[in-house]
Amino acid sequence: MLTVESLKAGYGPIEVLHGLDFTVEDGEIVVILGANGAGKTTTMRAVSGTIERRGTVRFEGVDISSTGPDAIVRAGIAQVPQGRGTFTDLSVEDNLMVGAYVRSGSVNDDLDRWYSTFPILAERRDQKAGSLSGGEQQMLAIARALMSRPRLLLCDEPSLGLAPLITQELFRVLVELNQELGTAILLVEQNANLALKIAHRGYVLETGSIVVSGDASDLANDDAVKAAYLGM
Amino acid sequence: MLAFATDLFIQRSFDGLAKGSIYALLALALVVVFRGSGQLNFAQGEMALVCAYFAQTLTLTGFPVALAIGSAAVLGFAMGAGAERFLIRPVEKKSPIAVVVVAVGLFLGLNNLIAVIWGVDARRMPSVFPNKAEDFVRIGGAAVRIERLGIIAVMLLLVAMLWVLFNRTRIGLAMRAVANNQPSSQLVGIRVGWVLAIGWGLAGAIGAVGARMLAPQASLSGAMMFGPFIFAAAAATVGGLDSPVGAVVAGLALGLIDAYIVGYFTWIGGDLVLPVTFGIILLVLVLKPSGLFGSTRVERV
Repeated sequence: MLTVESLKAGYGPIEVLHGLDFTVEDGEIVVILGANGAGKTTTMRAVSGTIERRGTVRFEGVDISSTGPDAIVRAGIAQVPQGRGTFTDLSVEDNLMVGAYVRSGSVNDDLDRWYSTFPILAERRDQKAGSLSGGEQQMLAIARALMSRPRLLLCDEPSLGLAPLITQELFRVLVELNQELGTAILLVEQNANLALKIAHRGYVLETGSIVVSGDASDLANDDAVKAAYLGM
Repeated sequence: MLAFATDLFIQRSFDGLAKGSIYALLALALVVVFRGSGQLNFAQGEMALVCAYFAQTLTLTGFPVALAIGSAAVLGFAMGAGAERFLIRPVEKKSPIAVVVVAVGLFLGLNNLIAVIWGVDARRMPSVFPNKAEDFVRIGGAAVRIERLGIIAVMLLLVAMLWVLFNRTRIGLAMRAVANNQPSSQLVGIRVGWVLAIGWGLAGAIGAVGARMLAPQASLSGAMMFGPFIFAAAAATVGGLDSPVGAVVAGLALGLIDAYIVGYFTWIGGDLVLPVTFGIILLVLVLKPSGLFGSTRVERV
């Protein structure tokens, strides 16, 4: 579904990613693990086309290496950015509506669906999104991304700053989504323990290069991964 | 003993509201641009003035009034969107100062362009509304000129149209999204560049109508927009640069203050309207730096 080859990206003269190769297959949850500054968020931005990038990115057989971010959303990739990217001045419902910006026709079914998945959002639909708690904003960010009916969802550190219980709830929703809708998910996480539990495969990123890759269960038992990311 | 004359008060109020409506329209234009791209378009007044001249030329060649205004608004839209796309966007990434320099350059360029095309002598612009001596209606014993009511109505109509655009349409939602969070707008598939250009275009169109309404009273000249632009910029600032409601309320308030100072505080005198008005503005901004309706941006670190 998503094939990335020798992906290089960075900010101005600074190169952060030094040539990544990874794939996401249909219906998979793939996690990219890594410490702060490893290049996880940069990887996400490079895939969604919001920063300059070199190398090849193919989505469903189409080369999107030089496609703009809006066309990438239209192609079927939605990103939940780090820090949620909430439209704080807009109401919860407007946040969801703007998530469906690339779609034509009625989106009421989708609204109903995500309101029933996240009842708290339905309760607060007329409130300004900026007034929501961190966990609620993360739910909103995921629901907003799903409003575009993506086939691939990019999630950048959804657990950041959330209480453990809320994180678990969010991950449960991601699994549900993956199983029920078949949405593929590329997840970037520092919480390796939790992420490896829901993922099928994983990659470990260190200072802009992939150092380990494999099935999630293998990674969870890998001594190097354990030592570095699982605190064992 | 001086009795308070209600009829005079009503008359002055409508004078002020009509003047304030012009300020409100121009302030709205500034706010629409500022919300999108965070820039003050110093050339907004001159862009509007070009459109007013254009409307006058069309009217002289026999265009119906409504069609001339419509054409001027279209020209305003094209100028605004074009300025954003071809002048502002190329320099925007380089530095904020560069944008100011370009806008000031555009201001001077347009002002001179007007002199080249239409000459330097002031021109008369026929009013859109009946404005002969007998064209007034009685409100509460006061004679209120139909032209004043017309200008206020045009302003209210434009505000209503803008409200519908912002709150009931897809492009309006996109404009609000871009105003609030540009990176996220990109991530939901909005073409941010287009939305900014449309915002500038919309501002150009609003300004064009404002200048067309002002021209019959001020007489069309190269200097016509200087004063009103300063008042509009002040109204936009006092209202809160990102608040359309604030722009309208502050615009009307400045118009009223102007009318009451001239009418009631004759010892202040017409020449001192500007400093007194700005004294009031300064006071508001000291008490509430983000303006009356502006949102305070809190950066989380």
